[in-house]
Amino acid sequence: MYRIAHKTGQDVIKRCKYNPLITIDDLPFECSDIWNAGVVRLHNQYLLLLTVETLEGSGCIYLARSADGYGFLVEPEPFMTASREEPFARYETFGIFDPRITKIGSKYFITYLAESEYGRRTGLACTDDFQTIDRMQFISEPDTKSACLFARTFEGCYAMLERPSAGDSIWISYSDDLIHWGSSKVVITPRGGYWDSNRVGAAGPPIEIEQGWLLVYYGEKDTSAGPLIRLGAAILDRDDPSCVLGRSNIPILAPRERYERIGDVGNIVFSCGAILEEAGQLKVYYGASDSCICLGIATVDEVVQICRENRE
Amino acid sequence: MMQKRGRDLLQRWEHNPIITYDDVPLQNNTVFNGTPVKFGDEYLLLLRVEGQQGYSFFCLARSEDGLHFNVDDQPCMLPTEDGPFALWEENGLEDPRITFIDGWYYIMYTAVSGYGHRIALARTNDFENFERIVMVSGPGNKDGVLFPEKIDGYYARLDRPIGNGVGSIWISYSPDLKNWGRSELIISPRARYWDSSRVGASVPPIRTEYGWLEIYHGFKMTSTGPIYRIGTVMLDSDNPAKVIGRCLNPVLSPREEYERIGDVRNVVFASGAIVEDDGEVKIYYGAADTSICVATAHIDELIESCFEKTELMSEDFCKTTCPYRRI
Repeated sequence: MYRIAHKTGQDVIKRCKYNPLITIDDLPFECSDIWNAGVVRLHNQYLLLLTVETLEGSGCIYLARSADGYGFLVEPEPFMTASREEPFARYETFGIFDPRITKIGSKYFITYLAESEYGRRTGLACTDDFQTIDRMQFISEPDTKSACLFARTFEGCYAMLERPSAGDSIWISYSDDLIHWGSSKVVITPRGGYWDSNRVGAAGPPIEIEQGWLLVYYGEKDTSAGPLIRLGAAILDRDDPSCVLGRSNIPILAPRERYERIGDVGNIVFSCGAILEEAGQLKVYYGASDSCICLGIATVDEVVQICRENRE
Repeated sequence: MMQKRGRDLLQRWEHNPIITYDDVPLQNNTVFNGTPVKFGDEYLLLLRVEGQQGYSFFCLARSEDGLHFNVDDQPCMLPTEDGPFALWEENGLEDPRITFIDGWYYIMYTAVSGYGHRIALARTNDFENFERIVMVSGPGNKDGVLFPEKIDGYYARLDRPIGNGVGSIWISYSPDLKNWGRSELIISPRARYWDSSRVGASVPPIRTEYGWLEIYHGFKMTSTGPIYRIGTVMLDSDNPAKVIGRCLNPVLSPREEYERIGDVRNVVFASGAIVEDDGEVKIYYGAADTSICVATAHIDELIESCFEKTELMSEDFCKTTCPYRRI
C-alpha cells in the first residue's frame, strides 16, 4: 500500500469561519477550560454537552443550545457533575469528561469518562429530554476511555466502541441489556509509521451511512514535545461493525490554526460527536487544544473516499 | 511434617518444591502456578508450564495425597491455532484457576497475545476434553477467579485490571458467564504495607461461616524488582463487593531458597487451594516462577488472619461480629 501525496493544509474537514464557536469567554460562569463536546439534534435544536474543567481542576458537563448549529448559548448551571452518591461517587472523584450521545429508540444515552484515583472507567447515563438525567451503571472496568454506543442493535445486541488503555486500540463489546458486556474484539489498532502510530480511539458514536458505519476516530502520534492528536475516519461493516472496510491513511483534520496549536494542551483536535445533515454534510464538533469548541465540516462522500483509499 | 519458618502463618511442606521442571516429562523451561482440584479419588493439579520457546501452556499432574504428583507426558491445553480464540492466545496460556459449578470445572486463565493479557474461560467435566467458552475481559486484565456459587442469581468473578497505573482487585457479575458488568473495586494496594504496589486475586473465593475468604497476592516494589507475597481478605457473603476484613501481615513471604532463587526471584504466588474435611487448607503456590510448592494452614487461622486488623471495623464490630481477633 503506497501513501497518497496530499497537499499540506488541505484537510478534508473544512473549518467553520466562526471558529472557535465557544471559548471560556462565552460562558456565564468562571472555569479553567473547555474540552470536548458530544452533540445531538433535538426538536430543531443543536445540543452540545461540553466538558468543562472547573477552576479547582475537576471535570463536569454543561449543556449548550443552538438553533443553527453555529451560535451556542451555554446554560449557567451544570447539566451533570461528579456524583456525590454511591455507588458512583468513589469512581468520579476527579470528575466526569467527554460525553458522547447516542439515540437508541426514544432515549438518549450518554457514555462519559469517570475518573478517580482508581482509574478511568466508562459511565452510562440516559435522558429523555435533556432536563433530567439518570445514571445507569459503569460499563467498564479501568482503564478505559472514549466509549460510545451504536445507535442500533446487532442481532439483538447493543454494541459499544471503547479504548482500553492496554494496547491503545479501539475495541468493540456487545451487551443484551446495556449493563453486562462481553464478546470484546479489537477493531482498529495504531499503525507504525502513520499519523496514528501511538494511540487510537473513537471520536464519537459511529454514524450509519449507505456504505456502513462511518467512524470518526482520533489518532495520536507521540513527539518529543507530547502527543499530536488528529482526526481520521474508518468505515465499519453495516452488519458486523467489528469488521473494518476502509480506513483513512491520512488525517481528515490536523491541528493547524492557532486555536488548535495553542492552549492548555496544545496540538489537539478531538471530537466526541458529529451531526449528519440531510444534504450529506458532516458537521464535526471538536475540541481544540483542550481550550475551546470548534466546528469542522466535510461531505460524507469525501470522507468515504479517503477511507476507501485504504481498504483493509 | 510442616516446617515453621520466619513468622509466616502458612506452614511449608518440608519436601517443597513438589514439582520442578525435572518432574515434567516434556521439554520445558519452568513449571509454576498450578491450580488444584479433587476429582474422584485423585488430586489434580493443572499446571502452567513454560516451554523453552518462552510461551506457556497447561499440563495435568495427578496425586493420591495432594503432595506427591506425577505429571502427564502430554499437555492438556495448548494455545489454540484456529477459531476465534487463536488471536488472543498467540503468546500463550497462563495462570489457570479452577472453580466447580453445577457439574462443570470452569477454568479461568490468562490468554496472552500482542493485544495484551485477557481473561478467558474454558470448562471440562472429565479433564480429558477442554472446551473454550468465551473471552471474559478486555485487554490489560488478568488473575480472574470465579466464585463457586452465584450471588443473587449472577455469576461473579474477581480480577485485576490496571486503573490509574495501579493493579487492584475488582469484582464483576454476569447472568451467563459471557457478558460481565456492574464492576466494583474490592481492594487496592495499601501504602506502607507489604502489598503497597499491586494486589490481585489468587485463589477462587472459599465460602466460610464468616464470608468469602479470598487468598490474594500483593507486591511491594523494591530497587531490584517486586517482592510477591500472599495475603487474605474476607468479603461479605451476601455482597462480596464489601470487604469485612483484611490481613495486616502477609500469610506467606518468600524466604526459602526455592522462593528466592529462580527465573523471577522473590515470588510466592498462590493459584488454588483445597480445603480438607478436617479444616486443613492446602495452598498451592508457584515459587520464583520456577517450581510449585504447597503450604498449609487451618481454615480458622486463615479466617482469623483477615480480622487481625481493626482499621476497617469499629471496636464494637470486632467484639460482636468477629469471633477471631489476634492480639
